[in-house]
Amino acid sequence: MTAIRMGAITMLNLLKHELLSRVTATIGWGIGLILFGALYITVFPEVSAQMGNLSDLAIYRAMGLDMQSFAGFISSVVLQFLPLLLGIYAIITSTQTLAGEEDNGNLEMIVAMPIRRWQIVLVKAFAIAVVVFLILLIAGFGNAQVLKYIKTTTEVDVTPTQLFAAVLNGWPITMAFSMFGLFLGAYLPHKRPAAAIATVFFVASFFGRNLVDLVDSLENLKPFFLFTYLDTTPTIFKEGVNPADLWTLLGVAVVFLLLAILAFQRRNITVHAWPWQRAQVSDV
Amino acid sequence: MTNPILQTRDLTVYYGKHRGVLGVNLTVNKGEVFGFLGPNGAGKTTTQRVLMDIIRPTQGSAFIFGMDCQKEGVTIRKRIGYLPGELNLYPNMKGRSFLDMMASMQENKVDSAYLNQLFERLDFNPNRRMKEYSRGNKQKIGIITAFMGKPDLLILDEPTSGLDPLVQQTVMELVRETKEDGRTVFFSSHILPEVQAVCDRVGIIREGSLIKTDHVETLTHQQFKRLHITLKQIPPDNIFAIDGVTETGREGLKIKLEIQRNLDKVMELALPFGIEDIESKPVSLEEIFLTFYDRHPNGGNHHA
Repeated sequence: MTAIRMGAITMLNLLKHELLSRVTATIGWGIGLILFGALYITVFPEVSAQMGNLSDLAIYRAMGLDMQSFAGFISSVVLQFLPLLLGIYAIITSTQTLAGEEDNGNLEMIVAMPIRRWQIVLVKAFAIAVVVFLILLIAGFGNAQVLKYIKTTTEVDVTPTQLFAAVLNGWPITMAFSMFGLFLGAYLPHKRPAAAIATVFFVASFFGRNLVDLVDSLENLKPFFLFTYLDTTPTIFKEGVNPADLWTLLGVAVVFLLLAILAFQRRNITVHAWPWQRAQVSDV
Repeated sequence: MTNPILQTRDLTVYYGKHRGVLGVNLTVNKGEVFGFLGPNGAGKTTTQRVLMDIIRPTQGSAFIFGMDCQKEGVTIRKRIGYLPGELNLYPNMKGRSFLDMMASMQENKVDSAYLNQLFERLDFNPNRRMKEYSRGNKQKIGIITAFMGKPDLLILDEPTSGLDPLVQQTVMELVRETKEDGRTVFFSSHILPEVQAVCDRVGIIREGSLIKTDHVETLTHQQFKRLHITLKQIPPDNIFAIDGVTETGREGLKIKLEIQRNLDKVMELALPFGIEDIESKPVSLEEIFLTFYDRHPNGGNHHA
C-alpha cells in the first residue's frame, strides 16, 4: 500500500470518527435553530404592526433596519442572531478540539497514530466545516418548511428557497470563528483560555459591528469586526451573498486554519506548556 | 551481533526551565525485551513520547528502524504498537469501534482470530462504551490496541498498571510471545519482579539521566553480592563498616552483608573470629534498583 493511500485511509478513518462523535450535536443544534427561526417566522403576522412602529425609532433607522416587512424583520432578527447562536457552538466545538482533547487526555493516542500533524488539524477542521454546514442545512430546510406553511395564510416577500439560501449564508462567518477557535486550541495548552479568548473576540466582533453604525469615530475599525461581512439586510434574499464578503470570511478561515496547522506542528503534546514556557524545538 | 532497532543520541528534553531528560543515550536491539526503570518523574514517559514524536527533543535525536523519529514519524509509527501511560479514550465510543479505527491505521493487517484470542485471554468485552469500562478494562483496550497488529516494535508505558495480578501475568506472557516472534519490546514499569522475569536488558533512569544499562543477569550478579557469614565468635559492632560493604543485620553469630567491593577485606576481618559458614543469597532486581537511589531495602545505605 502506498504511503499516500495509507495516509488518505487514516485521514478518512479519523474523519469518520470525528463526524460520528458529533451526530447528536448536529441534530440537536439543527433542531434548536429551526425552533429559533420558526418562533420569529410564525409570530411575524401578529407582530408586524408593532415592528412597523419600531422602525421609526432612531436607532433602528440609523442601523438601516426595516422591521415592517417580513424580509426586513427576518433578516435583522433571524439572519443576524442565528449565526450568533451557531457561533457559540462553533467556539465550544473548535476549542474543545485539540486543546480540549489535550485536557481530556485523548490527544496522545491520536498523535501517536501514523498520521502527520497537519493531517490531524485538517481532518478536524474539515469535520467542523461539515458539521456547521449540516446544522445550517437542517436549520435552513426546517425554517423554509415553516415559511412555506406561513405563506398559505400570510403574504410575505420572501420565498422558502430564498430563506434557505440566506440561512446557509451563516456558514462562512461561522467557519471564520471556528477556525479562530481551532487555532487557539492548537496554540494554547488548555481549553478554557482558548474558549475565553475566542468568546471575547466573537462578542467584540458582534457588538463592535453594530456599534460602528451608531458611532462614526469607530468607522475605521469596521473591517476588523467579522460581522461586517455578514449581510443581514433584506437585500440578501433577492441579491444573494456578496462575493467579496464571502471570500473575505473564507480567507480569514483559511488563514486561521494555516496558523492552527503551524502552531500544532511545532508544539509538544501532553505537557500543557504555555507558549512562553515552551522550549525551542528543532524544525520538522 | 547486535542490531539496533531503537536508538537515542544525547536526547535532551526541557519543558521550559524544567528538566525532562538529559543526554540519554539508549540502544535497544532487535528481538530484545528492554525494561526502562525509574521512579515517577525520572523521564521514562518523556523518552517514550519523544520516540512517538508526541514531544519534540530540545537537543539530540531519536531513531527507530534507522529512521529519525521526528522526520519519519509516520513511517515509523505504522510499525509500532504504543500504549501510553495515561490512557484516556472517547467516552461515547464503543471499544470495538475504537479498535477498528486503530486497526485501520496499522501497516500490518489485524488478524481477527488473534484479536478474538486477545479478547479472550484478557477477558475483555469490546461491545461496551468507553465510559462504561473500569480503569483496568481501559488499560486492556490499550494493550489490545498495541498488540493486535503484531507490530515490529512495542512501546509500552507501564503496561500492567491498573490490572489485576492474573491479567498482569497474561500481559507478561504476551511480551514473552512477542520476543519469541523475534519482535522487540521497550517498556517502562514500576513492578520490578515482572521486569526481571521478562526483560533481557534494563535501563535505569534517575532525574532525567540514564545511569545504568545492562543485562538483568549481569546486574543482579555483579552489582552487589549478599553474603550471610556465620562466625564462631561475635565480632564488634561496625567491624564491617568499610568502603563498599553494608551490614544489613545480625542473627546471633550470623552477620548479613551486602558487598559491592572489598570482599577480600571482609574475609580478612572475619577470619580472626572463626568462619563457621558462608551463604551467598540471590539479589533481586528490585534491590539492585534501590541501590541506584541510595535506598537500601533494609533501610541502610551502601558505603560509596
